[in-house]
Amino acid sequence: MFPSFPEIVQILSLPFMTRSLVTVVVLAVAGALIGVFVNLRNLEFISDGLAHSVFPGLVVGYVVAGTDGVFLGALIAALVASVLLTVVSRRGVGSDAGIAVVLASMFSIGIVIVSRQSGYVSQLEDLLFGRLLTVTDSQVRQIVVVGVIATLLVVATWRAQLFRAFDPQGFRAAGYRELPYDVVLNVAVALVVVAGSQAIGNLLVLALLIVPVAVARLITTHVAWVAPVAAVVSVLCGGVGLLVGYQASVVGGVSPSPSAVVVLVMIVVYLLVLVAYVLGRQVRLWRLSRPAAGPGLTERAEGRSDAQGRSAA
Amino acid sequence: MSSFYWLAIVESIVLGLLCGVVGTIVVLRRRAFFTVALTHATFPGGVVAAIGGFSVLLGAGVFSVVLVTVMTAISRVRRQGAQVASGVVLTGGFALGMLLQSLWPSLPVQVDTLLVGSILTVTWGDILAAAVVLVVALLVLLVAGKELLFSSFDPWGFRAAGYREHVMDGVALTLIAATVVVAMPAVGSILAIALIVGPAASAGMLVRRVDRIIPVACLLGVLSGVLGLVASLAWDIAAGGAISLVAALFFVLASAVRSLRKGRTTAQALRTSAEH
Repeated sequence: MFPSFPEIVQILSLPFMTRSLVTVVVLAVAGALIGVFVNLRNLEFISDGLAHSVFPGLVVGYVVAGTDGVFLGALIAALVASVLLTVVSRRGVGSDAGIAVVLASMFSIGIVIVSRQSGYVSQLEDLLFGRLLTVTDSQVRQIVVVGVIATLLVVATWRAQLFRAFDPQGFRAAGYRELPYDVVLNVAVALVVVAGSQAIGNLLVLALLIVPVAVARLITTHVAWVAPVAAVVSVLCGGVGLLVGYQASVVGGVSPSPSAVVVLVMIVVYLLVLVAYVLGRQVRLWRLSRPAAGPGLTERAEGRSDAQGRSAA
Repeated sequence: MSSFYWLAIVESIVLGLLCGVVGTIVVLRRRAFFTVALTHATFPGGVVAAIGGFSVLLGAGVFSVVLVTVMTAISRVRRQGAQVASGVVLTGGFALGMLLQSLWPSLPVQVDTLLVGSILTVTWGDILAAAVVLVVALLVLLVAGKELLFSSFDPWGFRAAGYREHVMDGVALTLIAATVVVAMPAVGSILAIALIVGPAASAGMLVRRVDRIIPVACLLGVLSGVLGLVASLAWDIAAGGAISLVAALFFVLASAVRSLRKGRTTAQALRTSAEH
């Protein structure tokens, strides 16, 4: 069941597996870097809105120009949606509900158009779920180009984005304007969604933006380490997911959706790290509160530094 | 006009009323992302129900209980929070549904039925379930409506006044989850959010007094359902999509009305200040 290392190399050097691997690695790295700001600025819901809003673009592109049109359609929808959602989310009060309405209505436009087509169900599935193992060479090129552009947008504005995330008032006081940076970030998120839609699936791309960074935030407290840790976690999960999917279909004789497997591997890793983190914290707190039997409860509430001072004294 | 059409009309009226009531709670408590995550995450519940051959409502119901628990647990961990919790549950649930669906390719239920619903095939059982949740929601409002509002607007004050915030939160989350589940057969797991949040958000822009938001939201909810259904039959488009587009249209109209009103009040204020 478990392949050895030379076998893994052999599997991954099959042309279609290499294409899927390149796709997953590019999307994983881009998703991890951009996901840092999605996480720090709580933009998960807006990202979900972007993902849904790209969907009608995929559909219209497909209806107008077939498979070749999907990419361009998604790109146009993504740019429109990122500006729209930036504006809606900056209105502050009630933005939460506003995003939900934008998300649902954009998605409905896609559904209504696709429901007029013949072969509606299979097309809907392809557009929503992606086809990771059958990406073509030209699709891989598109994914690499768009993924790299998205990553560069965020890397080029990295320091300012960090400033914006941690100290929005200081950011304004230092003379920066927020809108351009918000638009750049949302466009980068939208580009990752576009790049990933055909391969990973329109909704599952979101996992690459959210889950690896959530894992990294549990592993490290250093901001500088969050992006590299997230990228490594994401790439590893992607590779393992592809291999699991491959083994399941070759050895197990079933054909699981490869991108669903990739995402579920990430989710499992996340839940394991989460449980380990919570247990580790409990054990630390328990150790700290043990030396003083009487006032242990108040000490626990006051935290670590006090307890350490006490044991040192 | 055949009987399935009347069933669909009745279902859209009941759901419109329910979504008006519970949607107002969602909007006031800012739980839209939570609700979106929950709607997506009921998708695997539907697939499991199709595999096991039992009711979609049961599958989605069990899953929503599990997922609300997971989300609540994650959101209490430091450096994770509610948004991460919703994001994880949303993508994880969706991926699980896809995986199950790809492992059982010959399912009797088509995926689009679960994702975008099919209001034209609802049963009396579905309608009954929605009606029961509606009655429960109204009873909750009658018994604890004031407390629910208080805790939505001022959670700190609520706690300081000696109430238990997590009890109210639990009540709200249970109502939201139940609504998502009973809406699933008709509008599916992705589009339910339009009918839940759309009418309530529009009502919030049209009327200022909180006790009038719910009736207006119910009215808009029923109108969205019925008009969407009529549009879908007239132009032969997906019913779920048509219903949520009508809800979105009301939202656009409501924001237009609000900005018109705002413009008028600003103009009036300018005029009065110029007169003095």
